Amino acid sequence: MSCEIKQKERVGTINPIFTCQPAGAQYVSIGVKDCIGIVHGGQGCVMFVRLLISQHLKESFEIASSSLHEDGAVFGALNRVEEAVDVLLMRYPHVKIIPIITTCSTEVIGDDVDGVVIKLNEGLLQEKYAGREVHLIPIHTPSFVGSMVSGYDVAVRDFIRYFAKKDKTSEKINLITGWVNPGDVTALKHLLSEMQIEANVLFEIESFDSPLMPDGNSVSYGNTTIDDLTQTGNALGTIALNRYEGGKAAAFLEKEFDIPAIIGPTPIGIRNTDTFLQNLTRMTGKPIPESLVRERGIAIDALTDLTHLFFADKKVAIYGNPDLVIGLAEFCLDLEMKPVLLLLGDDNLAYPNDPRIQALKEKVDYEMEIITNADFWELENRIKNEGLELDLILGHSKGRFIAIDNNIPMVRVGFPTYDRAGLYRHPVVGYAGAIWLAEEIANTLFTDMEHKHNKEWILNVW
Amino acid sequence: MPYHEFECSKCIPERKKHAVVKGPGEDLTHALPLGYLNTIPGSISERGCAYCGAKHVIGTPMKDVIHLSHGPTGCTYDTWQTKRYISDNDNFQLKYTFASDVKEKHIVFGAEKVLKQNIIEAFKAFPDIKRMTIYQTCATALIGDDVDAIADEVMEEMPEVDIFVCNSPGFAGPSQSGGHHKINIAWIKKKVGTVEPKITSDYVINYVGEYNIQGDQEVMLDYFKRMGVQVLSTFTGNGSYDELKGMHRAHLNVLECARSAEYICNELKVKYGIPRLDIEGFGFEPLSSSLRKIGLFFGIEERAQAIIDEETARWKPELDWYKERLKGKKVCLWPGGSKLWHWAHVIHEEMGVEVVSVYTKFGHQGDMEKGIARCEEGALAVDDPNELEGLEAMMTLKPDVIFTGKRPGEVAKKIRVPYLNAHAYHNGPYKGYEGWVRFARDIYNAIYSPIHQLAHLDISKDEIPTGAGFQTAKMLSDVNLSEEVVSSSILRQYTGKYDSVSDLRQKTYPEFKQ
Repeated sequence: MSCEIKQKERVGTINPIFTCQPAGAQYVSIGVKDCIGIVHGGQGCVMFVRLLISQHLKESFEIASSSLHEDGAVFGALNRVEEAVDVLLMRYPHVKIIPIITTCSTEVIGDDVDGVVIKLNEGLLQEKYAGREVHLIPIHTPSFVGSMVSGYDVAVRDFIRYFAKKDKTSEKINLITGWVNPGDVTALKHLLSEMQIEANVLFEIESFDSPLMPDGNSVSYGNTTIDDLTQTGNALGTIALNRYEGGKAAAFLEKEFDIPAIIGPTPIGIRNTDTFLQNLTRMTGKPIPESLVRERGIAIDALTDLTHLFFADKKVAIYGNPDLVIGLAEFCLDLEMKPVLLLLGDDNLAYPNDPRIQALKEKVDYEMEIITNADFWELENRIKNEGLELDLILGHSKGRFIAIDNNIPMVRVGFPTYDRAGLYRHPVVGYAGAIWLAEEIANTLFTDMEHKHNKEWILNVW
Repeated sequence: MPYHEFECSKCIPERKKHAVVKGPGEDLTHALPLGYLNTIPGSISERGCAYCGAKHVIGTPMKDVIHLSHGPTGCTYDTWQTKRYISDNDNFQLKYTFASDVKEKHIVFGAEKVLKQNIIEAFKAFPDIKRMTIYQTCATALIGDDVDAIADEVMEEMPEVDIFVCNSPGFAGPSQSGGHHKINIAWIKKKVGTVEPKITSDYVINYVGEYNIQGDQEVMLDYFKRMGVQVLSTFTGNGSYDELKGMHRAHLNVLECARSAEYICNELKVKYGIPRLDIEGFGFEPLSSSLRKIGLFFGIEERAQAIIDEETARWKPELDWYKERLKGKKVCLWPGGSKLWHWAHVIHEEMGVEVVSVYTKFGHQGDMEKGIARCEEGALAVDDPNELEGLEAMMTLKPDVIFTGKRPGEVAKKIRVPYLNAHAYHNGPYKGYEGWVRFARDIYNAIYSPIHQLAHLDISKDEIPTGAGFQTAKMLSDVNLSEEVVSSSILRQYTGKYDSVSDLRQKTYPEFKQ
């Protein structure tokens, strides 16, 4: 009885769990105010990522392309970057920040994006845009390295590395959330506010959930400003909630400016939220107030209604972003469930040494598998051909047909969750997230019991 | 027909020749927007890439095929589950997508070996599927992998499998249209003529440029079967790989989307002498005349006419119910390519709406010619639109509804313009007589949505009626209609089912003597 961690044995991917690095960098770019990224590559690398984000959030976001065509692929396409910067600046007068996000094609042809940024800074920006604040940030995200997760991590670091300055002392902390939803940011800011802690929350994406206003003028965009990014260098400390999505930036700030960093844990579930609050106290000296004791109590009360009766021993498969998957697995264990299969969709060599994974390895007392570089076939094949029995799947929408075709209840969580309404509005972090997750799981199991006539009468009284 | 200069694009003068307004009495010789030229970088164009044109639009609707993209996972992931091309084999092609997962070491040392492993693994995972298409992507095209050589090697070692290779990396052309062309030509060059199909009728067609969006192909097949016409293959929606290898034995190529698939029709004409007949499955009149043309070609007009009469009698009163309520509503017809001319005139004639603008993301000048010829005077026609131009056009034209893609639809939503999905449809299929009523129904529901009406009110300023707890679409749409129309005993709202396609799969057809 043990937990085993291994890489997928096949070399190929049958139904990918992750997309590639530029998508992660693009998701970061839309969180920043007055910023429109240019993806240096083929047009599909932007068009489909914009579609993906709009599938998830039901909103449209602006991201540009250098529109690499055949001539550029042969002769080099830096001229396309120069033109793209100019066109974007001319037509979007509010734009101040342009990350230039590379892709596999432009990394393979070896376009010197850093060089062209220097050229533009010394040329075009001085000649044509003198007096206008413009920041060009090269972000290298070749698609054949890492995944959307590392692309996100790299981009957060590059934004912070570009802007962060240390020129005064501040009582604020940096809170780097990782790849989360607007609902998560709301939940995190609520916890900070209850603790009366001032934080620079990266990224301010609550505004991704934007209203339809009577004047018809609202646009969805993130609200993290240049000043926010600059101030990260003055912070009292940094908490990066997700080791793999923001960890690099926290480490950079620690190394460069001696800003103490706490990386993780993702505050999913009661225990990890407790740790997060303790970390906040440790960093700021602010006590945990009675209001949060009460909130925690409400959450525990809600979970107690569900655990032994409905959750105990339920077998769960979880896939998606690594910090999310690990956090969910830990929470499931606290809820008396048995996560039996965790799928991490890229080949990050750090996973086996992650202390949380080490802990699972050492302490789990039943058969559990953790697959890295995983695809969806690792899940589906086990169900269809190897007799894996599951009571629940936790993961994003791209895996929906495994649940549908095999009649396994599934709770959508992570990115993207386009086949359920409004999930981006709900948190999975904090005590509020613990309640939402547990009750969403419970209600999904209940619907399944009714649909299959599987002891559905139990719900008559509980 | 003067060129139209957008305020937002004054600083990029080369855009000026990409938009025109159709003036009174003008014809196409006066001006035509430029088309299918390289995109202006940074303009936030809506175009995709040549890989998606090949893999995502044309390749993947083939239903009994392992679709393997040779490259990093992103191209595969991003284009997966964003379309509604269903199939009658439980949607295998929608559910499964394959990537060779090229990593940095493969970029450096070559990815041919890993591709071969991939092919073998994929066939092993799905032992019932013996057909595969491999799509080149930017990364593997640039490192120069010889995909054809690997495919040949595998086919030699595994004689039971057949592999088609499509070399259409993302950068190969100004838009997805480059990929349409490449996969058309590759298919006829490499695969057509390699299977001898069984001929069961005197009237044999290929149905080309049809992607079975929400079941369009199955609806049209129903008519063809009722006429006793054998459909040898469909290129490519709900189409079968082996059937498509036998395209050369058809008597006629019936072409629907001439933008994406005229190339293969033209080649089939050159190589095998098969004539091309352009048809339209959208709209009562265009569809009826299409069925008549096919009937005429084979000398079975009466069979076509019987279907036309039956279907028109069944569905026309429902179409007209909507037409009465859609008259004069302003539409921006902003699809990808061919629907610009498939729909421009017929939504005007049969639903009464006014097309105030047409645009095309990846169409060529030929598509614009057809579209502008068919749309109303004063309509604004835009080639390769971008985000700001789209917004400016909507602000100026104030359409009642727009037909466009999912993401641009979100842009429209924010300025309170309802949208219908022109590519994947809302509640389709939209082809066929019943489908056309479904389209009218969707337009009606979008325009007269009570929620949409609420979006225009400002609670802080406007006088808000407090007496009514609800409104219905009909309360809104019928307010200015004559009593005669409102209480007509002939006209009626749509009466079909939510799923109008699945029943067709169980249907039996009359046998016609050969």
